Amino acid sequence: MKFLCLSCDEGMKLETASGPHDGSLEATFVCPRCRYRVAMLTNPWETQLVQTLGVKVGGRAAPASPYEQVLGSLVQSESEGQGSGGNEPTNPGCPFADMLEQTEQTASLSGVLWTDAARVRIERIPSFIRPMVQRAIERYALEQGHQLITDGIMDEARSKLGM
Amino acid sequence: MPKTYKDLAGDGGSNIVGQVTEQLARLRARMQDIRNKVAVVSGKGGVGKSAITVNLATAVAMQGAAVGILDADLNGPSIAKMTGVRGQRPVITAKGVQPVQGPAEMRIMSMDLLLPHDETPVTWQATTPTDAYVWRSSMEGTALREFLSDTIWGALDCLFLDLPPGTDRIAALADILPGLTGIILVTIPSEVSHLVVRKSLALARNLNIPMLGLIENMTGYDCQYCQTVGELFRPGQGPRLARDFGIRFLGELPFDPRLARSGDSGIPFVAIHQETMTGRMFQAMARELSVAIGLEPEGYIERGKE
Repeated sequence: MKFLCLSCDEGMKLETASGPHDGSLEATFVCPRCRYRVAMLTNPWETQLVQTLGVKVGGRAAPASPYEQVLGSLVQSESEGQGSGGNEPTNPGCPFADMLEQTEQTASLSGVLWTDAARVRIERIPSFIRPMVQRAIERYALEQGHQLITDGIMDEARSKLGM
Repeated sequence: MPKTYKDLAGDGGSNIVGQVTEQLARLRARMQDIRNKVAVVSGKGGVGKSAITVNLATAVAMQGAAVGILDADLNGPSIAKMTGVRGQRPVITAKGVQPVQGPAEMRIMSMDLLLPHDETPVTWQATTPTDAYVWRSSMEGTALREFLSDTIWGALDCLFLDLPPGTDRIAALADILPGLTGIILVTIPSEVSHLVVRKSLALARNLNIPMLGLIENMTGYDCQYCQTVGELFRPGQGPRLARDFGIRFLGELPFDPRLARSGDSGIPFVAIHQETMTGRMFQAMARELSVAIGLEPEGYIERGKE
């Protein structure tokens, strides 16, 4: 979109850009010759079009941050991100704040114990797949209300999970 | 006569072309260390595409290759569950987003890893809820581009993309991802599925997208007692379809209930059932695919290299 100063027949220059505020982007343009100024205010649909393209009106002062559009545009409902029982974000205003931490969160199922015999069996599984199998068995055991993984639980999990 | 749009230099000051060029440059830079980008597609849903993506990728990784999987099905993500990485949270750094590590050291990224709860749907911000659906397609394109360009994939021999069902997805991906090595089409032996997959094949041919092969799923049932395959549909349909379009037939997979259960357990079937008929078929298809894309064991990238 360009603006033309009809008095001077001169293309106007972008002066400022901000927003969106209440679904509207604001940009001001000035004629380089007569200094006449106009403001452009987008309607919500025009704003949406700009956002879906992942570009900024007025240009970018800094490079886009990783997953800028994905994290900035996903809707989080009121109930989400609260009381999930998981790791509480350090910044409650940002639903992705916990991901910004430099420490990786892993799905370790704490509290589940293994008998020595079961531990020996799990160690026999090839290393590239062992963590997955271990987690699947732990998850199965917890779902069945077991805190201790025995040979029997392993057999049961293998049969139920199709291992 | 006042000046017209074309008389005025520039684009009004926002440098939109420059911004889009920068997006493309970021994508190219990230993709340059990935030797092959292979999309797994199907015309229709429910043909087992995600299960095949996971197992084929795992089989390639088990050969020793450095492999990644991008779950490009943003609204129905299933790769995280099928690879047992659900619950892990990707770490965001200034350089990009670190994918999570799945079986066989595969690097995995999925929308599922970003959603807080099981029941959370993918909904984009918009003026009204109705508008969100209007804009869905372009938002998904932007999201897919970000997943490709902002994820720290590192050096990979092959990145598999699990696309949502739909013929149109092939064209959208080709727009976003220049340098796509090719697509693998998945079908089942029903006439209904073949009818739709023919449209996908024709579209890919029109767009000059390389077709790496066709896989037919659920061709029969694998009897675990007598080690034979019983018929479910009229046999021989998949190879004929591949012949009609002059593409490689990568193989047919029998219906195996253990394959479905392994998806739920988060452990790829091929990793623990290598000696079964279905397991051997996945490994054979992985070898066939490796030949098709020129992946050779002596040239594998060192895993974990960034």
